[in-house]
Amino acid sequence: MDRKTPLPWEPDPVIEVYKKDIDRTLIREHLKLTVEQRFEKLMALQRFHEELRRAGRSARRPA
Amino acid sequence: MTDFSALLQRLAGVKFILVGGAAATAHGSARLTADLDIVYERMPDNIGRLVAALEPCKPYPRGAPSGLPFRWDEGAIRGGLNFTLATTLGDIDLLGEIAGGGAYQDLLPHTITLSLFGVQCLCLGLERLIQVKRAAGRPKDLEGIAELEAILEEKAGE
Repeated sequence: MDRKTPLPWEPDPVIEVYKKDIDRTLIREHLKLTVEQRFEKLMALQRFHEELRRAGRSARRPA
Repeated sequence: MTDFSALLQRLAGVKFILVGGAAATAHGSARLTADLDIVYERMPDNIGRLVAALEPCKPYPRGAPSGLPFRWDEGAIRGGLNFTLATTLGDIDLLGEIAGGGAYQDLLPHTITLSLFGVQCLCLGLERLIQVKRAAGRPKDLEGIAELEAILEEKAGE
């Protein structure tokens, strides 16, 4: 269930459309982490992203 | 990959404010960001500290061909405002000011202090970060703004 509260400014209808697809369970998980843990998770995600790109390049290379 | 912890540790002693995707991460965003965005104070002594802090990381204009006559020194910073740089520790954007937010002094009242990887640093507060992104009006930011507003709602509902 969403825990929506009024924003301190007028909601933008375009942003409200995007907001419907935001994964709030993921946000709640992140909010449980310390700020340092959030950055460690970001760096792990970057490493994974780099590895996927490397694997993609490798797969496209002719045998 | 950008080594956020090493870059922040290098910047200890420099007056700067975390903004952009890194600030969003600090506030709880789950989105991938590739670089460290900071707004730096443009006073001469701070520019000197910034140059000395990043010099060992060999800053160079990101995406530019090699061999340009780029010198990383105080004159380069004074002669420009915003710099998108690649370093040996990853990508960093040094911003003298940001659209919709202004310069270091303008953002200062809207910051929070974080203790991050052993460094005390200032980070733009969540509400101001959203306002700045909204003011910038970039289509690519829409999804990020939606997530930040959802974070604000989640925090308010706690």
